[in-house]
Amino acid sequence: MPPRRGPGGRRLLAALLAVGLLASVLPWWLDTPPGSLRTTAATLTAAGRITGLIAGYLLLVQVLMMSRLPVLERWAGGERIARWHRDVGATLLVAVLAHASLILVGYADLEDNPVLTEAGVLLRDHEDMVSAFAAAGILVLVGLTSVRAIRTALPYELWHALHLSSYAVLLLGFAHQFSNGAQLFRPGPVRTGWIAMYALVLAALLWGRVVAPLAFNLRHRLRVADVVAESPDTISIYLTGERLERLELLGGQFFRWRFLARGCWWQSHPFSVSAAANGRWLRLTVKVVGAHTADLRDLEPGTRVWAEGPSGTFTAAHRTRERALLIAGGSGITPIRAMLEELPPGAALIYRARTPADVLLHRELDWLAEARDTAIWYVVGSRHDPGPRQVMSPDGLRRLVPDVARRDVYLCGPPGLVEQSLRVLREAGVPRRQIHLATFEL
Amino acid sequence: MRRALLAITGLAAGTTALVVLKGSPGTSPVAQELPVAPAPVVPAPAGPTPTGGEVSAAPSPTRTSASPRPGRTVTRAPSSGPSATTRAPSAPRTTRKPPPASTTRTVTGPVVENEYGNVQVQITLRGMRIVDVVALELPEETAQSDQRSEQVDGRYSGSSGLVVQRQSADVDTVSGATATSTSYKRSLQAAIDRAN
Ligand SMILES: Cc1cc2nc3c(=O)[nH]c(=O)nc-3n(C[C@H](O)[C@H](O)[C@H](O)COP(=O)(O)OP(=O)(O)OC[C@H]3O[C@@H](n4cnc5c(N)ncnc54)[C@H](O)[C@@H]3O)c2cc1C
Repeated sequence: MPPRRGPGGRRLLAALLAVGLLASVLPWWLDTPPGSLRTTAATLTAAGRITGLIAGYLLLVQVLMMSRLPVLERWAGGERIARWHRDVGATLLVAVLAHASLILVGYADLEDNPVLTEAGVLLRDHEDMVSAFAAAGILVLVGLTSVRAIRTALPYELWHALHLSSYAVLLLGFAHQFSNGAQLFRPGPVRTGWIAMYALVLAALLWGRVVAPLAFNLRHRLRVADVVAESPDTISIYLTGERLERLELLGGQFFRWRFLARGCWWQSHPFSVSAAANGRWLRLTVKVVGAHTADLRDLEPGTRVWAEGPSGTFTAAHRTRERALLIAGGSGITPIRAMLEELPPGAALIYRARTPADVLLHRELDWLAEARDTAIWYVVGSRHDPGPRQVMSPDGLRRLVPDVARRDVYLCGPPGLVEQSLRVLREAGVPRRQIHLATFEL
Repeated sequence: MRRALLAITGLAAGTTALVVLKGSPGTSPVAQELPVAPAPVVPAPAGPTPTGGEVSAAPSPTRTSASPRPGRTVTRAPSSGPSATTRAPSAPRTTRKPPPASTTRTVTGPVVENEYGNVQVQITLRGMRIVDVVALELPEETAQSDQRSEQVDGRYSGSSGLVVQRQSADVDTVSGATATSTSYKRSLQAAIDRAN
């Protein structure tokens, strides 16, 4: 059983990011004498500068969080970082809009211009403002397409391509901070420090996106060994490679996989590993839901695979209690199946599936139940059927697992099931920090 | 989503709090840091330093910065009133006899505020002739005003600048830097008046 990983790393990371935020506003604080903001223009401009510094910092945080730096993955985990990225993204968007409009209105007030005229003056007379406005425009576009309703309406690949243009924001927004930023245009420690932050983030990006994956894939050289059907719409892909005994993988973690076959190589998709590390092979179990997963059915043995990971904190090592309750829905069983091997005996599993054919990996689950003293309930049917309705209620849960409030609960499945279970678990008295989520959503 | 809303609220509240803290004088402990070295009264290279009759050096209210240009103080946009005002000089220090014609002396003009910051000019005279002009303070809070200040400084100041050439404050306004030019000329004119 792998050693536990507490929340220490995640808290340290959050604390570091918070300190960075304070440090990025500090130059403004030191540069501004008290009592100096008595005109409207001065106040607006000051607020514009603060939000500008914050936006500049948050943009770097956003890129850093997408760097896939191994230490970030280890401390916070890919899925949690993806959630942070979404929340920080919304904040960044608001900060940038506030920065632009506050500076614009502040300058307009100072120079007694109408706002539109002032916008023209900014674009014409101030260096690097055209690219800065372009950066803001792109950021708004990226932000809007990430609103959930719009995002789900777009094909994933299109959304992803749009989202990649955020790197252009980094580039286009760079110069105006140093040619016009009140705290940054003068050479000195602040300016140097700010540039150093950019350099650090770029280094992290290079390390996490290029160096680390290159090292990983050169070391393990993964290939497809076999593709087998698990159910009419689900397959398992077995992989072999070199030095797999040295792979540091926890059950429940996932990789981003790129199968180097025709039609597949240009996309990378996240899938969990559906069996704990065994030193000889890896397995992923994939439900066919769209074009890419459909193509995976035709993979030939021998196909090279490029993997990035492992990633995620949905593992037995991240538990806070001795015992666990696992709730899986449909293909959400994959990470839980791998984790079962690494949990202490006495775990309980509730496996929701719509029809008996949707129950995956049935045989090995039964075998694990015996070998690791795990209680398993297969709850089959629509969620409106009496059986599932009864189990998925606070009383039903307590009847199956009387000590549920003193267990870690691992939840993985479609959004509907996750939401419903969360509600029921809270009603049954499970503290939030004991609930671990995998939503198959980055 | 809930956390994003929380973060955005925090952003708004934090920014407002910072602005309010800095906006009200004396509420923060930093307010006590102000007193700085007394205003520069530059000794003339030769002989005693007679300062003109009622002239006094206005103590600079702003703190000295790590500005690369020597002898200049960074100024911030003034806190009140958009119009240019002349700050009253503090109590006169010394009263001396009018200077003998051949010595060098420096006369400091008053601090003149405009919406971008403060301007203060100091002139050096040999007899009645202006031989050098130094800007002790120019607005340089933003990159823009810094640039403009540099233009004005480059044109007017120095021992071969426009002011020394013309021997008066009646020099052309630097285009694009009207406010700073005007304040410069006011401080300069006052210094010249004091010297006479
Ligand atoms: C951490 C994690 C672990 C996962 N583990 C498994 C697993 O073990 N078994 C399994 O069957 N599925 C798993 N998934 C879901 C799987 O990634 C998607 O079903 C798959 O990418 C769909 O691709 P598609 O082109 O076939 O379908 P599409 O119709 O193109 O996409 C269906 C949905 O899948 C998501 N998606 C598509 N492409 C990507 C991508 N490149 N990156 C991220 N999300 C994408 C989008 O939300 C999209 O709306 C996991 C997802 C995540 C985030």
